[in-house]
Amino acid sequence: MSAPGRPSALIRQPEAVLHLRNRRWVWTLVITAFFVVLAFLFLIPLYWMTISSLRPQAEIFSAGTKLLPSTATLDNYRRLLSDVPYPRWFMNSLLQSTGYAVVTVLICTMGGFALSKYRFRLRNPIFILILLSQMIPFHLLIVSLFLLIIQLGLVESYLGAILPLAAHPIGIFFMRQYMLSLEDEMLDAARVDGANEYRMFFSVVLPNVKPALSTLFILFALEYWNNLLWPLIVFRQPQNMPLTVGIASLVNQYRVQYDLVMAGSTLATLPFIVLFFFLRRQFTEGFAAYGTGIEK
Amino acid sequence: MSQIKAFLTSRKIAPFVFLAPYLILFSVFKVWPVIQAVKISFTRFQGLQNQTWVGLQNYEALYSNPRFSMALRNTTIYTVGTLLVLIPLPLILAVLLNSGRVAKGTVFRIILFLPALTSLVVVGSVFRLLLGRDGFLNSALGLFGMEPLRWLEVAGLTLPSLILLAVWRWTGINIMYFNAGLVNISKELYEAAAIDGANARQIFWRITLPLLKPTTLFVVIISIIGGFQVFVEPFILFVNGESPGNSALTIAVLIYRTAFLSFQFGPAAAMGVILAIIIFILSLIQFRYFGTFKKEA
Repeated sequence: MSAPGRPSALIRQPEAVLHLRNRRWVWTLVITAFFVVLAFLFLIPLYWMTISSLRPQAEIFSAGTKLLPSTATLDNYRRLLSDVPYPRWFMNSLLQSTGYAVVTVLICTMGGFALSKYRFRLRNPIFILILLSQMIPFHLLIVSLFLLIIQLGLVESYLGAILPLAAHPIGIFFMRQYMLSLEDEMLDAARVDGANEYRMFFSVVLPNVKPALSTLFILFALEYWNNLLWPLIVFRQPQNMPLTVGIASLVNQYRVQYDLVMAGSTLATLPFIVLFFFLRRQFTEGFAAYGTGIEK
Repeated sequence: MSQIKAFLTSRKIAPFVFLAPYLILFSVFKVWPVIQAVKISFTRFQGLQNQTWVGLQNYEALYSNPRFSMALRNTTIYTVGTLLVLIPLPLILAVLLNSGRVAKGTVFRIILFLPALTSLVVVGSVFRLLLGRDGFLNSALGLFGMEPLRWLEVAGLTLPSLILLAVWRWTGINIMYFNAGLVNISKELYEAAAIDGANARQIFWRITLPLLKPTTLFVVIISIIGGFQVFVEPFILFVNGESPGNSALTIAVLIYRTAFLSFQFGPAAAMGVILAIIIFILSLIQFRYFGTFKKEA
């Protein structure tokens, strides 16, 4: 093989082609095998969570490397429903995540529309201020936000959990970028037809940005569903807690009741894993939005 | 009346109406609390109503507070540790997944991405079980004849445990970022290199890596900024974030504990200001490389 990889050389040397093809095939096998091992390693935590939730209580700690329980049981789930207000936590998570996603998507879409399709004084300063706000670490705000929601009487309330997080810089940035590509002619046509600016927004703009709306909605719902810090500060009463705060209250003990924690964690993780398989595009675009939000 | 309506629906006023909800929430829950946080960092709280101005005292106390310097040190080690794994590993995996040498590549992408969907509370709980003294990891290591390690109980192993968790949680997302960068590299470059007789290693070092530089830099910076704010992982892995000998105490955990377990709002706010300054400096470096304001304004 005088010139490896050079197509013209390969054509003249059939035995070299065969040799290279063989090597290529071996490499594919080796690399794929490596990924199979890696995939199994990465599945261990989720598998262990699920299978532990089905083990008899006494076995969870002493399972060693036993991949299957001696007997599969739903006892842990039964106790989860009877010993702690798990259904309440689940409903709270569902309602708070949905509420947060609706409010945040709406105000970010309206704001993004103003920043992309109108020319007005202060537009650039406002936009830059919003971009800058992205670098505020939430831990700088926790004390003053806590005092603020006490003053506003929003402790233990859904509004107190949702509103402080709703001015989302990535959300408004994402919508602005998306709406820059809306055609001005389309908006002008609606204006000529006699629609005022708000009517136009709801009947022309919103239907045209549906993919962006669903991407952001998924992203924000997931973000709230998995968030711990702020709900942990807002909610102290068990009946108001979302899942993360509830599960954290079970884990933050020296003798953890892993039976409840593993069953609760499995149920908390399942919805978005299932959603992911149906809405993969929205998920990946949503995560990519974090990228564009910081990169551009 | 109709004049007011005409005014409110005019093209001049409409953008402000559209922006109003965002800007109101932004002012009340972002701008105002930042100002308040700085103010609180100069005060001492004795009960919610009684506050006294103490100047720089909270900051001076931090300077001589061993827990704060420990938190700074741990957070830096954690951030550097995650970078050392979470840049090269996902980069190589993304390149391999794009090389066409992996059968069923999409399946692996999905599996590696699943951790990104899980709550850090759940991840922390599961890892606490896995890393326990008789947990899965020690049992698995035992199969290879290794002595069990006390992952969460001895000072030297707590940060590696946190990094292990981070690798599991973020590898898939970083693969996604690197993949986005790889897709943008023109196929023609690779073809031209192959025709010129470059081997796979040369193509990686001379074409892929240099052209991935912007993506790499971006992932480095978000990892640093995220790393410095790490909170839930140590908070769950150790009861209320209380690690052996404070060996996994991070800045964010210390701020939370100071504010909501010791109710020392002044010192907590001062630490928040210092964290914000660190993030601000790191972000400036990011803007310098990515030219945010050059492009947008």
